[in-house]
Amino acid sequence: MAVILIVEDDALICEMAGMLIHDFGHHIVLASDVGEGLAILRSSQRFDALFTDIYLKKAIFGGCDLARQARLIWPELRILYTTGNAITDSLKAVFVGGSHFLRKPYTSAQLQSSIESLLAT
Amino acid sequence: MTDLPASDIVETVPSALIVLDRNLCIRSANRAFYQTFRTSRGETEGTLIYDLGNRQWDIPALRTLLESVIPHRASVEGFEVEHDFPTIGQRTMLVNARKIFRPGDHAGFILLAIEDVSEERVARKESRRNSLLVQSIVDTIRDPLVVLEDDMTVVTASRAFLTMFGITEAEASGRRVAELGQHQWDVPALRKLMEKVLPENKPFENFEIEEEFPGLGRRVFNLNARKISQPGNNAHRMLLVFEDITDRKQRERDAVSLSNEVSHRIKNNLQLIVGLIAYEAKWTAEPCVQGYRAMQSRIGAIAQLYDLISQSSHGHVVAVDDYLREIAKTITVSLLGDTSDIKIEVKAEPLEIDADRAVPFGLLVNELATNAIKHAFPNGTGTVILSVAPVDGAFELSVADNGVGTSPEISAKKSERRGSDYVAIFVRQLGGSVVPSPAGGTGTTVTIRLPLLLVARDSAPHQAA
Repeated sequence: MAVILIVEDDALICEMAGMLIHDFGHHIVLASDVGEGLAILRSSQRFDALFTDIYLKKAIFGGCDLARQARLIWPELRILYTTGNAITDSLKAVFVGGSHFLRKPYTSAQLQSSIESLLAT
Repeated sequence: MTDLPASDIVETVPSALIVLDRNLCIRSANRAFYQTFRTSRGETEGTLIYDLGNRQWDIPALRTLLESVIPHRASVEGFEVEHDFPTIGQRTMLVNARKIFRPGDHAGFILLAIEDVSEERVARKESRRNSLLVQSIVDTIRDPLVVLEDDMTVVTASRAFLTMFGITEAEASGRRVAELGQHQWDVPALRKLMEKVLPENKPFENFEIEEEFPGLGRRVFNLNARKISQPGNNAHRMLLVFEDITDRKQRERDAVSLSNEVSHRIKNNLQLIVGLIAYEAKWTAEPCVQGYRAMQSRIGAIAQLYDLISQSSHGHVVAVDDYLREIAKTITVSLLGDTSDIKIEVKAEPLEIDADRAVPFGLLVNELATNAIKHAFPNGTGTVILSVAPVDGAFELSVADNGVGTSPEISAKKSERRGSDYVAIFVRQLGGSVVPSPAGGTGTTVTIRLPLLLVARDSAPHQAA
């Protein structure tokens, strides 16, 4: 069982993603923006992975910013980005090393497969 | 040089030369003088200069030179005489005068060198007129522009340039573009492009610079440069135009931002629907779960098709060949993965499809290709070919595989019949028809004839839908 932080600005999607990942057998913690996500990551709890939306409320690339800062706190943290928007080369360039990406809308099977391959790294 | 006879030198110089004595009588003249003023030695020598050729040399300006200036100075250079000569017409002469003395002769002589500069003066006037004309045109152009020498220094700057960047003509003139303002134009890539404009006659367009400018704030400029030449003049200069695209750029950024926001919301809503279906599937009996999963996949396919359309579209049309390649790539990623031995190939001519029709077209391709991947290759190896080509005034989409072919058992399965229903719906929506496959051969080929739907790219439409 892994501990996964899910950061998603849409509360319903966050809950549903949390429910699915919980069903896959993992422990989940939910956050809705960059500040909340960082506060949780700075707590003493250890996390195996961060699953974050790229567009977070008013922060257009909030997920990228969060992932970059999260790696400073947890250098071994696995990162899985998601967004429904187009992924440009300039956006890919700011992804942290070794991160994964899952396009929205994703099915439960796609989410499970992405989480499994993320945790296998 | 000193060995050469002076008379030989005098006869070969191109300027008209005459020697006057102290009474202003002509003692001698050279060949150039006789040719220029169409006179002869007999008519010239011994004659008072003012009496020469029907007194055509009795010019007030020349009198001033000979009677008032020369007596007080050893030499005069560049004295300009403009006169309408009866024999040769209106002329501008540049006169150099020098007193010369022989040993023992204190009265001396006057050597006059007369150069006809009429054509040069006319050309200079013309050039000045052209320059004024060009400057007045330049000043009416709203985009700031400068004309540069080959060393990149400013020859002239338009009024719009001076006004926009708050400098005077004196401040701009003679300075390099890179030195202007706060060196905002001192960009290595721009310098590299500018250095090629004149020597290689290589214009450039749309070089974008975004910078802070004093008094203007943050601005985006599009720079265009080209070589300019004046007929008959070997000197070349560069015209550098600064197009202020700040507002346009902001509108584009706003549009992208809005598009991202809309896309974000649509995808989140689709994600919500897919999540709700997943939630329902959790509490549904196994035979129905397959249907829920298929529904999730199709919603995912629609979302991806919208992305592909935005990537492959040019205005209101979508490039079919690019679109098919993107669909193939997406199916490969989502259903096959990198290590699969099932490959999807695309054979498409450069055709375009109306963006409104691109979604059912993409869903049709997606449905047929997905069916082929699911059923044609039980041993996990094979190829699916997606192709579009014009045939007999219409267009045919075909999805072919080299697999095991369609078995009656698979065709009879309820879920597969539903897949066929979807294919039929999409074909109907596109106004097409399924072409019966020829008997025999291996694998399965589904061909759809799509009349009046696609147009060949960069040519007249075959027929509008």
